[in-house]
Amino acid sequence: MSEAAIVGLFVATVQFGTLVFLAALGELIAERAGVLNLGVEGMMTMGAVSGFMVGLETGSPWAAFIAAAAVGALVGGLHALVSVVLGADQVVSGLALTIGGLGLAAYVGRNVVGERPETKFTDLGIVGLADIPWFGDIFFNQPPVVYVAVLLGLAVWFVLTRTRWGLALRAVGESAPTTDAVGHSVMALRSGAVMVGGAFAGAGGAFLSLYMAPGWTEGMVAGRGWIAVALVIFGAWRPGRLALGALLFGFTLALQPRLQSFDIEFLGVDVNRISPALLGILPFVLTVVVLVIISWRFRHRPSPAPAALGLPYRREER
Amino acid sequence: MIRPVLVRRDRVLPATQSFGFVVGILVALVLGAILLWVSGNSPAEVYERMFDSAFVGTDSLSRTLERTTPLALTGLSVAVAGSMGLWNIGAEGQMMAGATVATGVAMMADGLSGPALIAVMLASGVAGGMLLMLGPALARSHLGVSEIITTLMLVYVAIRVVEWLQVGPWKDPGSLGFPRIEEVPGQASLPGLFGRVNIGALIALGLLIVFSLAVSRTAWGYELRLAGSSPDTARYAGVSLRRKVLTALLLSGGIAGLAGTIQLTGAEVRLTPGLSNGFGFSGIIVAALALMRPSGVAVVAFVFGAVQVGGQSIQTLGVSSAISDILQAMILFGALVAAVFFNYRIRWTGPLGESSGEEIEQLEPAVEEPDV
Repeated sequence: MSEAAIVGLFVATVQFGTLVFLAALGELIAERAGVLNLGVEGMMTMGAVSGFMVGLETGSPWAAFIAAAAVGALVGGLHALVSVVLGADQVVSGLALTIGGLGLAAYVGRNVVGERPETKFTDLGIVGLADIPWFGDIFFNQPPVVYVAVLLGLAVWFVLTRTRWGLALRAVGESAPTTDAVGHSVMALRSGAVMVGGAFAGAGGAFLSLYMAPGWTEGMVAGRGWIAVALVIFGAWRPGRLALGALLFGFTLALQPRLQSFDIEFLGVDVNRISPALLGILPFVLTVVVLVIISWRFRHRPSPAPAALGLPYRREER
Repeated sequence: MIRPVLVRRDRVLPATQSFGFVVGILVALVLGAILLWVSGNSPAEVYERMFDSAFVGTDSLSRTLERTTPLALTGLSVAVAGSMGLWNIGAEGQMMAGATVATGVAMMADGLSGPALIAVMLASGVAGGMLLMLGPALARSHLGVSEIITTLMLVYVAIRVVEWLQVGPWKDPGSLGFPRIEEVPGQASLPGLFGRVNIGALIALGLLIVFSLAVSRTAWGYELRLAGSSPDTARYAGVSLRRKVLTALLLSGGIAGLAGTIQLTGAEVRLTPGLSNGFGFSGIIVAALALMRPSGVAVVAFVFGAVQVGGQSIQTLGVSSAISDILQAMILFGALVAAVFFNYRIRWTGPLGESSGEEIEQLEPAVEEPDV
């Protein structure tokens, strides 16, 4: 295994990690407010297609990134309207969002399949640090979205734990009636959280279609929105742990296409003789295994999930 | 400031259940028309083509029924789990698992006569679906791991295993290097009924009737629903929740596996990574619209079969078949919203304390209507 290959693996780990981190961070915000949104895959896909199309049109990756976030927020807004304002079942609404989002994205993007973007994010060499061997390339010579994601992670942590807004948001995720009684608007808090979450997922989708796999093809998110949903559980609904989990999952996602080029033996099996299709199951198997391990660890303890997660609230039925 | 709030209706509007579905369809048609119109197509022309190709003539009806079969089975699969409040959203993967195991069995037992081979393949398909569900079911029943995520994750696993099989161990030596799996033996194909419809449709119908009766009319079904709606009561009544979760999920997986096998031996000729074709995901919407009732699944599956056949047909008009996916999701959203307004009405109210007159009425003891 060459040095360049190892550095390449970790560079990709950070990028794949960023991709799932953005989406998972959005889902974390929604879930901390008590709203389960299973539409992440759909919101990311809508973000991917709209980001790519705006990128083609304007030539500006930042305009595309912001447009994708706006589209993600809009799509999330539909979930907020149906499940928060009207109080319909969150699971059904979220699943409909994923299925409808995939369909709508396929429809909207039908004419740009196969087109190549002229612009994409350029790697941002941070002066002085990018030249450090190994670490420079892995941490300090990445596309700007990576740093935006880090800043967003810090911001979410700060807002959730250090501000009144965050307190109200966490409160509404634990007990909506109490939060209502204190005078906060349950609907505004929850809808806001779902829409911000949608924006994060949409932005993640644009990172995919504008940088990681420039272009648009149907189903290009390929289950990574679902991994983001699982990641929130892995991260125990806390941004810090979420970031660690994102790097772990980023590593498996990055490993899969590269494993074949590495000349290593694992349990007596020569890795580069395993089919890439079979290696592709790694991140998904890992997700299941990780969820089982976490539940095993928490089997005698109360779950770290927000107490009101998944429960609709209507003041009249208090 | 006067603002609207949702108030539970004293009386739930009659005929709500089926009506929600009808409203959903109308909402979807209107939104779909807007989408078509915005993108420069004539909604009337597109809808007419969809209707004709799905309903008018024997061939059209047989196409619709051909798609109704897998949708009814995956819908039933999701509904069986759903009748106790569980979500199997991995029917897509269990279809693949069922078809994979059935293909493997057919490779070993291709000396059998037609009916025997078909019976063995269908049974092994059920086993294959259950096998893929075993992990999520045990994790749910013993550790409480959300079956939503685990069942979905295994979809990607199942599809990739089939991708691997077709380039690797099961690659057809006679395919001239083209990566594909050998056809299942000719005697294994399901006998046809008319047009494109085969006895798979009758199997689906039979299962829908059996499960419809089992869920609504037997003690087993009652315990299943009780375990879903009030676990504590069920436990007090001596129902083993773990066993109920396991049974419901494994049955759900088995039915999806059967759906995959019926696709394999009925509509298709060989196992491909595209065999499940989104039927498993559409099955979620079908079951949700049928409110997890097997009897409703048949109706919704038929309508969805028509929407999908219609979606295919409009490609000749230059319209993307993705329209049918959008319509399916819109029907569900429409029905969800409609269901809210069947149970609730809007009341305009003033700020705290300022009643808008109707408040007085509310002071009388309100009789809680059971949730529908």
